[in-house]
Order: sequence, then C-alpha cells, then structure tokens
Amino acid sequence: MASSDLERTSLLDAPAFEGLKLRRFSLKEVNWREFPWWFAALILIAVVTLVTVLTSPTFNEAFFFIIAGLGVTVSVTLAAFVVAVVLGLITGLGRISDKVLPKNAATLYVELVRGVPMLVLIFFIALVLVPGIINGINALGAALSNIGIGSIGSFFSAVAIRDIPMALRAVIALSITYGAFLAEVFRAGIQSISRGQMEAARSQGMSYGQAMRYVILPQAVRNVLPALGNDFISMLKDSSLVSVLAVRDITQVAKLYAGHSFRFQQAYISLAILYLVMTVSLSLLVKVIERRYCHDGR
Amino acid sequence: MTGANPAMQPAADPIIELRRISKTFGEVEALKDVSLAIGRGKVVVIIGPSGSGKSTLLRCINRLEEPTAGEVWIDGERITGSDEQMNKIRADIGMVFQHFNLYPHLSVLENITLAQKIVRKREKKAAQAIAMEQLKRVGIAEKADAFPNQLSGGQQQRVAIARALAMQPKIMLFDEPTSALDPEMIKEVLDVMLMLAEEGSTMVIVTHEMGFARAAADEIIFMDYGEIVEQTTPETLFTHPTHPRTKLFLSQILQK
Ligand SMILES: Nc1ncnc2c1ncn2[C@@H]1O[C@H](COP(=O)(O)OP(=O)(O)OP(=O)(O)O)[C@@H](O)[C@H]1O
Ligand SMILES: [Mg+2]
Repeated sequence: MASSDLERTSLLDAPAFEGLKLRRFSLKEVNWREFPWWFAALILIAVVTLVTVLTSPTFNEAFFFIIAGLGVTVSVTLAAFVVAVVLGLITGLGRISDKVLPKNAATLYVELVRGVPMLVLIFFIALVLVPGIINGINALGAALSNIGIGSIGSFFSAVAIRDIPMALRAVIALSITYGAFLAEVFRAGIQSISRGQMEAARSQGMSYGQAMRYVILPQAVRNVLPALGNDFISMLKDSSLVSVLAVRDITQVAKLYAGHSFRFQQAYISLAILYLVMTVSLSLLVKVIERRYCHDGR
Repeated sequence: MTGANPAMQPAADPIIELRRISKTFGEVEALKDVSLAIGRGKVVVIIGPSGSGKSTLLRCINRLEEPTAGEVWIDGERITGSDEQMNKIRADIGMVFQHFNLYPHLSVLENITLAQKIVRKREKKAAQAIAMEQLKRVGIAEKADAFPNQLSGGQQQRVAIARALAMQPKIMLFDEPTSALDPEMIKEVLDVMLMLAEEGSTMVIVTHEMGFARAAADEIIFMDYGEIVEQTTPETLFTHPTHPRTKLFLSQILQK
C-alpha cells in the first residue's frame, strides 16, 4: 500500500523524470508540470541563505550566536522523544487492553492531552504539575518526620521546587504531550496487525504478554517507524515552545539576540533556516528508512 | 445429541470432551448446547454449511473462544480458563488456520522455534533440531531460511503444520486448512494431513474436502444451526444419511 505513495514522494521516481528512466532523456520529455519545483526552490533558499550567512558579517554573527542553543534544542528533543516513546508504548498497550483500569487510565490521559493546546500544556506541566508533585513529596516527607521516621522524611523534604531545572521540566512537559500522540501511533500500529497473529501465538501457548512482545510488537513497530520519524520531526519543531520556560534553546537564544541587538531579520531568518535544515534533512532520512524497509518486502 | 447415530459408541477414553457447550455472540447463537466426545487417536471431520458453528466449536476446544456455558475437558482435566492453565493446555493443542497465520517477520525456522523456546523452554539448538525434523516431515526442509512471503500458499500451510507439530501436541485442530489455497496446492497439504492421520494423531478437522473426509476420518460430524445434527462414520454418513438436513447438505455439495 505505502509503496505506491512512496514512489510518488521519492524525487527520482517523480513522474517528471519518466524520460530519465527510459534513457532516451530529452528536455521535451520532462513533464514540467510535475517537476518538483518546491524542491528546487528549497535548494535555492538554502544556497542563498548560506551565501548570505557566510558573506554578511551581521548575519554571520547572528547565526553563530544562535547556534549556541543547538545543544539544548537537540538534547531536549532527544530526551523527550525517548521518554515519549516509552510512555506512548505503555499507553498504547493500555488503550487496547481488555482490562478496565489500564484502558480507562490510558484513554483519560490521551483525551486530556488532546483537548489542551500544547503551549498551555507546557505551562501547566512545568509550572503547576511538577511543583505540585514536589509539594506532595515534601508533604509526605513532613508526615514521615512527624511519625518519627525522620531520616527518610528529611530525604523527601530535601527536594525543592527550584531544584528541578526548567530544562528538565521542559523535557517532562514535551514527553507527556508527545506520549499521548505516540500512544495513538502505537495503538494504530498494533491494531493494523491481523487478529490471526495473536490467535496463532496464543494457540501455541504464549501468554498475552509474550505474544505482544515476540509476535505483535516487532511487526507493529516496523509499521510505525515512518510515523515515529515524522513525530520526531514535529517534536523538534515543537521544542521551540519550551523557550516560554526561558530554556535556552535556539528559539530562546534568537529571541534574546534579537532583543538586545534589534537585528530581528538576522535573528529570525537564521533561526528559521536552522530549523529548516534540520527538519528537511531528517525527513529525507525518514524517506530513506521507509524505502529501505518497504523494499525488503517483509 | 439430536440425531446421533445410536450405533456410534461414546468414546471410551475421550481426550476431548465438550459438555453442553453454548456460545452466543450478541444475538447470534453460534453453538446451542453441544456435547461431544472425541477418543484418543481419532480423526474427526466436521462438515456443515457456512455459519453453522464449525469454527466456533473448534475454537472452544482450545478456548480461543470462551464458551458462554458448558464445560471443556481435555485429557481428563476440566479447563477452567485460568490464564496459566490455558497457556499450558494450549501448548498441547496444535492449531492450523485457514489463512496460515505464519509470523511474517520471522524466517520459517524461527516461526517453528519461537514457541518452542518461550513456551516449551527448549534451548535454541534443540528447538532448531526439532524444527528441521518437522520441516522434513512436511517436505520443505530446504525452505528453513526463507521468509513466509517467499513461499506459496501450500508451502506456508505446511510450515504452519510443522510449527504446530514442533510443540509435540496431543491434539491437532484444523480450521479449513485448504480453503485459502489454489486448487493445485490443496493436495500437498491434504497429503501431509493424511500422513498425520495414519500415524495415529488425534485430529479435529473442519473441511469441505469430502474426498479427504472419506479417506481419513474415523468419524464425521455434520453441524447445522449451531447443533450437531449427525455424528457417525464416513461410510454411513455419505451412503445413508439419516437426517433430512444432512441429506440436503450432501446433495448440495456433491452436486458441485
Ligand atoms: N467473533 C464473532 N462475533 C460475532 N459473531 C460471530 C463471531 N464468530 C462467529 N460468529 C457467528 O457465529 C456463527 C457461527 O460462526 P462460525 O464461524 O463458527 O461458522 P462456520 O461454520 O465456521 O462457518 P464458515 O464455514 O463460514 O467458516 C455465525 O453466524 C457467525 O456469524
Ligand atoms: Mg469457519
């Protein structure tokens, strides 16, 4: 099913290049209406920007100032994505469970996250939920001290809200948000595997968990790999939202730079280009992965 | 048991016993108070029109379908549906499906060793040895390293049979094992099943292959509307069916 879509989105297989494949290539045979103009434009933008950044001192300065935030952007995204995958897998399994509690807990989580804008969720998780949990832990510590288990109690009381850095809260917020999205990806991936697979595994005496682990999930994960890749790209972009928590990712650094130099053009063009370079190269990578595993035919 | 042939003696030492099994899906009564005993080493073929409850009956034996009422006894043990017990009992009951249901992400060899390793707790080497032995039995040892999608339907079904046999089951269940096959591949699967029958395996088979039923079955069961209408020997059923519904069904399929 996906293979025909793939042929279309893959550049060299675009109908525009039909003539190329036949080896009797001539300009007349290129279908200019189908030509991927967008890709040519993208390359052009990249080249123009690169030249500008390299030749204009102000652009140069802005660009390299902002790049300082790249480490934070990348590490926040990577950390949050790993946690979100784990959370998403657990929640996805909960969604398809027959058991009342996991099913309802998972659905509640997904629906809560879906119903609130991401920016609001980030504020809420970082500034309300995390402090709330710390307060809870502190209260537990105080209670333990009161009933005379002071040593454990003081351990719990020692955690202060300010000890949880904003970068960590940003990771928690992004993980919780994306965990709910990825849960739906995993759920759909698992449900796309035919019922006969679970029945075959169970008929051989495997438990539900064993059947999931050895039979269903390996197939489901393969199927959702491209979707996971695309969600990773979305998360990279959405990580710019954590700048509202004053986490010094590239967006926050660009904001700061623009604020004190008043070079808004240079700051935000450089910022946009940075994101674009990362997202476009990642989506090409996703396509390569997608192609490779579709072509090996299993 | 309505219309059961009085000449058939109840199995003396039944390995499968269904006692007053009912199964409803919402409004649909797929099985209506069905009782059945199948003796050790017997080959039992179930026939009947579409929707008569053949698959449901078969799937109640290993509890892929949970009966709404009634008891299932396997080898003298009442199965209650507790998870551990079910997994243990299912490991002893091989099942072959209409659509093969091989694990597409695993090679043929891995398909056959997976459950051996995680359910039977066999070492990899031992599991592979048993797998190869079973593949030889069904005649496709050379395909051990292939993946399911590289095999024909007939080969896939033989791998599925080998996968079930590798668990060394006490009972083999087949649900229309040749219905999804191209005509030229049906024989290679039926031949394997005939071989198993001759070796004395206990087999319960839902099939529309009347020639096979005649050749291999010790008993034949005709089902209609969720009930066992007739249970007798193939000769009796094909030559002197007692029940009008059996006669009608046989005349319909033998016409084709
Ligand atoms: N999972 C299910 N949900 C709802 N109804 C079901 C389900 N499985 C079976 N049924 C119904 O139960 C009845 C018996 O089905 P069953 O599959 O046992 O028939 P069958 O004799 O195997 O038919 P076929 O020859 O078409 O395979 C049918 O009416 C069917 O629609
Ligand atoms: Mg059926």
